Amino acid sequence: MNPLCKGLLAGLLLVLPLGAAVANEKAEPDPAKSQYWPPIRQMMFGEREILDGKDVVRVYLSTRADDASTVPVAVKAQIDQTPGQYIKQVYLIVERNPSPAAGIFQFTPDSGRAQVETRLRFEDFSFVRAIAETNDGKLYMASRWVKAAGGCSAPGDKNRMPANLVGTMKFRFADETVEAHKPALVQLMIRHPNESALASDFDDTRTPQFVRQVKVTYAGKTIMSADVDFSISDNPSFRFYFVPEKEGELQAIVEDTHDKRYVHREIIVEGVPLPGG
Amino acid sequence: MDPSRIAAALLAWSVGVASTFAADVLDPFALSEVAPGNFVHYGSLEERAPGNMGDQANIGFIVGEKCVAVIDTGGSAAVGRALRAAIRRTTDRPVCWIILTHVHPDHFFGTAAFREDRAVVIGHENLPRSMGQRARPYLNALKRDLGDHAAGSEVIPPTQLVRDETVLDLGGRTIRIKAWPVAHTDNDVTVFDERTGTLWLGDLLFVSHTPVVDGKITGFLEVLDTLSRVSVQRFVPGHGKTDAPWPQALEPERDYLALIVRETRAAIKRRKTIEEATDEVGLSERDKWVNFDDFHRRNVTTAYTELEWE
Ligand SMILES: [Zn+2]
Repeated sequence: MNPLCKGLLAGLLLVLPLGAAVANEKAEPDPAKSQYWPPIRQMMFGEREILDGKDVVRVYLSTRADDASTVPVAVKAQIDQTPGQYIKQVYLIVERNPSPAAGIFQFTPDSGRAQVETRLRFEDFSFVRAIAETNDGKLYMASRWVKAAGGCSAPGDKNRMPANLVGTMKFRFADETVEAHKPALVQLMIRHPNESALASDFDDTRTPQFVRQVKVTYAGKTIMSADVDFSISDNPSFRFYFVPEKEGELQAIVEDTHDKRYVHREIIVEGVPLPGG
Repeated sequence: MDPSRIAAALLAWSVGVASTFAADVLDPFALSEVAPGNFVHYGSLEERAPGNMGDQANIGFIVGEKCVAVIDTGGSAAVGRALRAAIRRTTDRPVCWIILTHVHPDHFFGTAAFREDRAVVIGHENLPRSMGQRARPYLNALKRDLGDHAAGSEVIPPTQLVRDETVLDLGGRTIRIKAWPVAHTDNDVTVFDERTGTLWLGDLLFVSHTPVVDGKITGFLEVLDTLSRVSVQRFVPGHGKTDAPWPQALEPERDYLALIVRETRAAIKRRKTIEEATDEVGLSERDKWVNFDDFHRRNVTTAYTELEWE
C-alpha cells in the first residue's frame, strides 16, 4: 500500500471515531469549515499553500449520488499538458471515508490531458477534494459536496466473482478508431472485488484485497499511474487520455494488496476499429 | 463466520437512546388478513421521515396453532413495537421465529422490539455478512432521517441461516423459507404458507414503488421468471399492494427491469459512459412508478456496472 494512504488511514481512524459524527447535513456545508479537512490537509500537504483551483482543475460528480458504492467522478484539468507547464499529480480525496485518499494520479506531458474519471465509494455525506499539483510544485484545489452514504461498507461482488476472473482487464475506447497525435480517451476496466477494509469488520484475520497501484504506458512511456485505495468501487474503472502514434502498444500493469500483479496489453493502430461498444 | 460473534459485535451498533414516545404516530397500526392466518401491515410508499418512523416495508406474520412467525419487522424499533402490539391483539401464540426477507433496513430495524420473545431470527445464508458490512452506515442514515424516532433500533442478524430451503412447523401449519440466488440483493428469501398458498415475496416484488436492484439485474429477471411459474393463491409484495392476479402482478416489475437491461446494453454498445447511460436509460417508465427519481438512476448504475463486463 502507498505509505501515504496507509499513514492517512491509520492516523484518521484514531482522530475521528467512525460514525461518531452523524450531522444532520441535508444542506451543503461550507467547504472551508469542514472539521474533517484540516487533519487530512495537514497530513498530506503540511504547511504548503493550496490555491483556488478553478482555473486549473475541476471535479465533476452529481451532488446527490444514487448509489453510494458507485459514484462516478471526473477530475478534469483546465490547462493543457505541455512540457513547460503541466499537471504532474492529482490527489483525489473523499474527506469522510475511512481512508480518505482515494487515489493519487500521476500524469506526464505524454498524457495529452490531465483527466481521470473513476467511480468512488462514499461512507458518508462528504466533500470530495481534487488537488492538482503542477510541475512547478504549486497546489490547486477544487471541492464538491456529495450526498451519498454507506457505500464503503457495501459489499463488492466478491461472492459473485469467480477467482479466475480477478485481474481480468479490458480497454474500452471512447471512439471507434484513433488518429495519430490526437488525444484519445480510453477506459481501463479491471475485474476486481476491491474489497473495502470496512467490509472485513468481522474477519480481521485477512488483509482485504484491493487494487493499490495502476500503471498505464503507451509505446513504453508512462501515460498515467495511480496509487489507489478501497475508496475506489469494485471492478475499478479509470478513464483517461493518451496520445496515439500510427501504431503502438497500450499496456496496463495492476498490483493489489495481496501482491498479485496483472498485465493487459493492446496494440492500437490508427484507423483500425477498437473495442468499446 | 460465527453468528454469535457477529451478534455481539453488532450490539455495539444499536442506537442507544431510550425512547418514551412514538407509538401514536403508528396508531392505528392497520393489519389485513390476506389469507386465513396471514396478516399483513402495508407500509407507506413515502420516503423515510420522522412522520412515518420508517414504516415503509410490507411486514406481517403467520399464525399457527403453536407459534407465530414474523416476516420482517419494519424500519425502526417503533414500527417493530407496533407490529408486536398488533400480534398480541391478534393471538396469544408466542412468536417463535422472525424471518428477515433481506438486508434492507426498512425490513429489519424493528427486530429489537421482539427481544423478550426470544424468537429465533432466520435469514439467507448471506444475510449476516451483508448486515455486518452495512450496520454502521444503516444506523447512521436511520438516525439522520428519523432523529429521536430511531431510538432503540438495532441491527440484529439471523442465527438460523437458510441455504436452500428451510421448513418450519408453526403447529398444524407448514411454511417454507426459500433462499434465492442474487437478485434484489444477494440475500433474498421468500416465505410460502402451504395451507393457504400464500407467498411472501419480500422485495422480489415491488408494486407501485420503483423496483430497486441492489444485487444483480439479470439475476433478478431470472428469479422473476422462476417465480412466475410457481403456483400461488395469494401473494404479498415487499412494497405496495395490487389486485392483479398471479403471476401477471410480476409483469410491471419485470418489464421495467427488462427495459433497463435492454437500454443499458444498447448504451454500452454505443460507447456511452456510465453517467450518460444514467441520464438516458429507462426514462419512459417514469410515470409508472412512485419514488422513480430516488431509485431509478441507481438501478441503471447497478445494471451498467454489471452489463459492461458482458
Ligand atoms: Zn429491499
